[in-house]
Amino acid sequence: MLYVVLFFTLFSLFLYALLGGADFGAGILELFSSKDHQVSIKKRVYSVMGPVWEANHIWIIILIVILWIAFPGFYNVIIIYLHIPLTLILLGITLRGVAFVFRHYDAVKDKSQLLYDRMFEFSCLVTPIFLGMTYGALISGNIVLLENTPNADFASVYIKPWLQPFPILTGFFFSALCVFLSATFLIGEATEYERRMYIRKAGIATWVVVVLGFVTLAVAYFEENKFVLDVLKNYYAIGAVAVSGLLLVPLWKSIRKGKIVWCRFLAGLQVLLILSAAVGAHFPNLIITKTGQISLLDDMAPESTITILGISLIIGGLIILPGLFHLLKSFKMIKILENEEN
Amino acid sequence: MDNLDAARMQMAFTLIFHIVFACIGMVMPFFMVLSHYKWLRTRKPVFLKLTKSWQKGVAIFFVTGAVSGTALSFELGLLWPEFMKHAGPIIGMPFSLEGAAFFVEALALGFYLYGWNKLPEKFHLLTGIIVGLSGVASGILVVSANSWMNAPSGFDYVNGQFLNIDPLKAFLNPAWFTQALHMTLAAFVATSFAVAGIHAWQIYKNRNVALHLEAFKIAIVFGAVAALLQPLSGDLSAKDIAQRQPVKLAAMEAHYETEKGAPLYIGGIVDEETQTVSYKLEIPKALSFLSFGDFNAEVKGLNDFPKEDHPPVAITHYAFQVMVGLGTLLMFSGLLYFISLKKKKWQASKKYWLFFACLAPVGFLALEAGWIVTEVGRQPWIIHNVMRTKDAVTPMPGMIYSFYLYVILYAVLSVAVTWLMIRQIKVLNNSEN
Repeated sequence: MLYVVLFFTLFSLFLYALLGGADFGAGILELFSSKDHQVSIKKRVYSVMGPVWEANHIWIIILIVILWIAFPGFYNVIIIYLHIPLTLILLGITLRGVAFVFRHYDAVKDKSQLLYDRMFEFSCLVTPIFLGMTYGALISGNIVLLENTPNADFASVYIKPWLQPFPILTGFFFSALCVFLSATFLIGEATEYERRMYIRKAGIATWVVVVLGFVTLAVAYFEENKFVLDVLKNYYAIGAVAVSGLLLVPLWKSIRKGKIVWCRFLAGLQVLLILSAAVGAHFPNLIITKTGQISLLDDMAPESTITILGISLIIGGLIILPGLFHLLKSFKMIKILENEEN
Repeated sequence: MDNLDAARMQMAFTLIFHIVFACIGMVMPFFMVLSHYKWLRTRKPVFLKLTKSWQKGVAIFFVTGAVSGTALSFELGLLWPEFMKHAGPIIGMPFSLEGAAFFVEALALGFYLYGWNKLPEKFHLLTGIIVGLSGVASGILVVSANSWMNAPSGFDYVNGQFLNIDPLKAFLNPAWFTQALHMTLAAFVATSFAVAGIHAWQIYKNRNVALHLEAFKIAIVFGAVAALLQPLSGDLSAKDIAQRQPVKLAAMEAHYETEKGAPLYIGGIVDEETQTVSYKLEIPKALSFLSFGDFNAEVKGLNDFPKEDHPPVAITHYAFQVMVGLGTLLMFSGLLYFISLKKKKWQASKKYWLFFACLAPVGFLALEAGWIVTEVGRQPWIIHNVMRTKDAVTPMPGMIYSFYLYVILYAVLSVAVTWLMIRQIKVLNNSEN
């Protein structure tokens, strides 16, 4: 059953990064667009992601719940030492969620829309940065455990671990990935005129991802970051990143040829490969502190809990996944029908 | 304010905020679906218009409830890491099932909101019903986690260690049934009276009466029935608490001394220093009867328990008085509604509508007061008789700033949502039915 639980842990992490990430990316795209484009992106995002946009963000709740039930020792470290960035993530998630619903469900469409739009766009920018920063901080080797240094001051325990070049770069890298995902997803939904804009933006995002990726790795390398040094020794991680980079060639071919399904599949796969490299290279020791490593499996819940959680997840998955699939499918089908009618 | 109190205040504040949105998100889909059903049956446009405007309300409240719920799922750990470290593996099951139920609700809501003119009519209606049912299911499930804190079970506590963990037993803890029943009814009472009250106010102001009357009729039925059932559920809860948490019962009633044939105190001002309650109304032997079904049963007083295990008595007592008082008011109001179905004259009176309009916030006040009773009454324990709240709090100093942040955030959100609702109603009134 431990494997079932681990599967759902990674499954919800990856799905949140992909689906939630694409949602965040759409908001960032909107932020960095001209006024005309902002309107068209807003409409497009609502029609494409509308039915699932809330569901996309439940994956993080599932992830958190699994972590605290099955891996309480590991979760305890995250939740104590990364309190501040997690609070900022929450602030972002909250403002983004309410801004999205306010701008589409406010009965009166007036100037307040501008406020909702800015709120939506900025929280979409900030949240993935802090999400990436949190992950970066976990693996940066900066975390100072109180049990080792009871007299450490506030800043070095609660602020310095995440306010460092490597975690910050990881944050920017993740948000660039979000934009990349979002732009490639939206290409397939757009009209001819919009399509060129999305292709251009996807191109810019690709460059930003590649450059930021190299800078992040380089900074980590010169900082002698243990995680990155280990990644560079790990054949799977290097392979995954390399394949992800090589896939850019077929991705751009299919974007140019307008093969929508292919370019989505490839972009999703690329991001998955990068994420799996970041998680897989050091699994299960996903927290690296100043003095050592903490494994996901340290202080794990007893077997009875894991068994029941595994069963609950299987039952939940059997209900949710077909529902989610049907939701995506039925609105897709409707779209095809509508196009034919027009 | 020290760190512990700041963390407590933040938790209380978040819960007070979240519970309102969660309840509305649980109950309003039922109104929406009933109105939708009436539209399909009668094809009167007024029902379609009502359904669509309630649906906007559901979307706004659902999302606000969802994001504040996401915040809560983090906050449990952020504020009480020691609690989550030990309790997580024990009470994880209801949380994971609640997560699943909530997910189903979000999916069904996706179908419902975007399904107009796209999905087959009956299937569309069904997705609305699923929204309501899964909302209630997630409410009932998550209460299990809270009731476990009152009635810890499913583990052995040996030398500070939690051994022989049985998540199923913890999930089915003895306080779950009474608490979940009381809470579900409360959600229906509070939301129904709030929604009915808002529409009653519109009728009182003579705005689009045809529509608001239909809305009132749908909402009030749920609330009136639930308000009449609630005292029975309250009685079950009281008897349960008398058995399991006698110290909480003593605080609710502000009883310091153990007595046989204990009187019920109504109202009164509690002085925790001198351990007296002045200006109270006493009903002889009633507390013994209500707690144990026997007029001469012994009710334990606070002084039978060590001082360090006492909850804050005054807050618990006042909150309990408020809950029972307002609950009784709503019960009689429910009765009044059913009588007014026979006596049509009443509904023609302006005062009738003003009365129901004034009741709009009452259900939620009672509900918040009830949660204060159960949460403050459980102190100083976070897990009753096992772990103290002070031992669970985060080691990070400066929680007061985090508290201020949440106060500002949720105050702004409350104002924004209220403002949106007012705009919604204005648009509704200014357009043709």
